[in-house]
Amino acid sequence: MADSEDVSMVEEKVEQTEEQEQEYDLEKIKLLPGSSDDGTAASFQIIDEDHTLGNAIRYIIMKNPEVEFCGYSIPHPSENKLNIRIQTYGNITALEALHQGLDNLAELCTVIEDRFSEKIEAGGYKTVEP
Amino acid sequence: MSIDRSKELSVRITNAERDRVNFELFNVDLSLANSIRRVMMAEVPTLAIDLVEIDINTSVLADEFLSHRLGLIPLNSEGIDKLAYSRDCACDNYCANCSVKLELNTKCDTDSTMSVYASDLAKFQNGLTLGNPVTRDAAKKGPLICKLRKHQEIKLTCIAKKGISKEHVKWSPCAAVGFEYDPYNKLKHTDYWFEDDAEEEWPKSANRRFEDPPDKDAPFDYKATADHFYFDTETVGNLPPNDVVLTAIETLQRKVADILVGLKDENVETSNAQSGGFTTYGRTDYDNNGGETPSGSKTPYGEFGGGSAWN
Repeated sequence: MADSEDVSMVEEKVEQTEEQEQEYDLEKIKLLPGSSDDGTAASFQIIDEDHTLGNAIRYIIMKNPEVEFCGYSIPHPSENKLNIRIQTYGNITALEALHQGLDNLAELCTVIEDRFSEKIEAGGYKTVEP
Repeated sequence: MSIDRSKELSVRITNAERDRVNFELFNVDLSLANSIRRVMMAEVPTLAIDLVEIDINTSVLADEFLSHRLGLIPLNSEGIDKLAYSRDCACDNYCANCSVKLELNTKCDTDSTMSVYASDLAKFQNGLTLGNPVTRDAAKKGPLICKLRKHQEIKLTCIAKKGISKEHVKWSPCAAVGFEYDPYNKLKHTDYWFEDDAEEEWPKSANRRFEDPPDKDAPFDYKATADHFYFDTETVGNLPPNDVVLTAIETLQRKVADILVGLKDENVETSNAQSGGFTTYGRTDYDNNGGETPSGSKTPYGEFGGGSAWN
């Protein structure tokens, strides 16, 4: 009885580690070493992103008056990784700055999208039909 | 770093054609304008032939050569959002939810050379325009695939799949994306090579008509930044140009959302500096808007409602 319990527990553990490994493979963003203890300075690594997102997110995080520094890098051109470093003045954490930056970028996109659709619907531009 | 409130984000459309839209974007940063350009070029999903099963090919073209040509044929991609990526689909290989099937079955029986056009591809009906070869010529024949002489035959089945042009350009909705700012080069971001006079030797940008010529006597404005961007999105016909722009912006938003989802997975440990609130920028004195978070056009870049933190 005791033996069988042990075996099932071991199996569970194996399953758990497998699950964790899968999640690890799928993870989009992780914290890189080199963050400060209070979390006001941190580096993140984002998988499957490039300059398209990197430069825009860097700019928008840098626009945050609470952020002291934000920079990004593609460490190697043949690895689809994006490293981003954020340092704040201490009132918010780097993670919060990242969150805010992402929210603001999404909002900014919404505005551009709305303005563009608005203008397309409003007409008043030159059109050439075939 | 404060934001000039007099400068509001705006869009102006100058020209719209069946396969092209010219528009201008005002008061955004170069990085964001460039992101939109990059996404339009490389990450707007469309439909293109990805698999070719060849039964008979007695033409002079090799199978792989023919397959490559078939892949490059623009296919109507309106309604592509209803199609799943083949890799995400639950099916084994491909199915109607993640692919469109087209068939080519031709044989030359005449003494003269026979031309095979994209319009000769017969689509397995899916009740949509999705997957129809794009025809822009007067005769509605579409691009030429190959030519056959007497007794030469082609019999094949094509599987068209959803994809993005970051993987292969055949999935690009754009033939070209024109992107320009500062046509007078007031910011000196460009250094023109010249023999005697750059202004005379270089062609003038058509976008100069939208801007004032620089004052030759004025000192260089080292604080100036680019805030007026000219886009010229030219499509290949598989998606309307307006849709390409809008899908690009949505794609960019999805990239942001993907990271936010990743952050929620608690792979990254949350640690508050001073148990700071979320979008308050660490300040407590600014919540005079009933705790309402900025949304819609009330962004720091749009109309400046009370929700803005960019004071």
